[in-house]
Amino acid sequence: MTKQEILNELKKVIAPYTTNKELLESINDQTDLIKDLKINSANLVDIIIDAEAKYDIEIDYDSADKMVNVGTCIDVISEKIKEKNEQHG
Amino acid sequence: MNSTGNDIVSLNAVDISRTLQPRFYSKILCATEISHHHQAGLTQIPFERYVWLLWSIKESAYKYLQRHNPNLLFSPTKFFVTRLEIPSENPLRLMEGVGFEECPVYKSIVTFGPESLYSRSLINQEFIFSVVNQTNDFENIHWGIKSIDNADPDHQSTEVRSFLMDKLDELLPYDDLSISKNTYGCPILLNGTNQINISVSLAHHGCWVAYSLQPQETLATISF
Repeated sequence: MTKQEILNELKKVIAPYTTNKELLESINDQTDLIKDLKINSANLVDIIIDAEAKYDIEIDYDSADKMVNVGTCIDVISEKIKEKNEQHG
Repeated sequence: MNSTGNDIVSLNAVDISRTLQPRFYSKILCATEISHHHQAGLTQIPFERYVWLLWSIKESAYKYLQRHNPNLLFSPTKFFVTRLEIPSENPLRLMEGVGFEECPVYKSIVTFGPESLYSRSLINQEFIFSVVNQTNDFENIHWGIKSIDNADPDHQSTEVRSFLMDKLDELLPYDDLSISKNTYGCPILLNGTNQINISVSLAHHGCWVAYSLQPQETLATISF
């Protein structure tokens, strides 16, 4: 998946947890999930679980810690998809 | 280290069936905490409530520590809740107070690496509220919990600041008080442009907002 494809799918993952739909449409790498999108921290685990299901990946604790803005979310998802593809040869 | 950290979880805003899924709660609790629920006489707390109780304690501890360690990331499984004590079953009546002597309070110790903090939590059918402190003495900590009429994030933010300001206006002699944020996103108190040496923590979730505040000295000595 390209970065743009991951971003497009990530918007769908995030959408249920933010009321700021306008900003969601224009998010970029620096967009902070809590400060900018006003996502409650209690929903961050939901986003990680939903991302795991969406991309059929497993996000370990250390990687999950990094998922604070859109750019780091894309980096983690991209890395996990790559690992999965390598494992499946 | 002068700081304070609090958190509130609205039990109407959490997905209970999802909370009970191992893939969900295993991202919040470590294995010892999961087994501890079954082994340590804690089963009188429904498991989903146990998960969110520990979440609120861990998030409070994170907020406490992050004030002095701005680059700290919140990693729930790296915070470890021990020695959880359950109160006798008295209904929660107070929604604001100083200390927790009059309250049916849950107590624990939460560790993060070499750091150990103490917690107090209040629970009813609608929310779980936690506060942490570096010592086991909470008698100087002011706290408050309030319901609001809608869960819009901007409304939550406005309401929790207004709630805290009402309390500060009661407690402090300053006439130009405001709540701001430092460069790392921690709430701070200003009188005009001067920062006041009182740590404050704000929390909101669903239709609940809460604050804690910890003066570095007693409020009586701040008054002039």
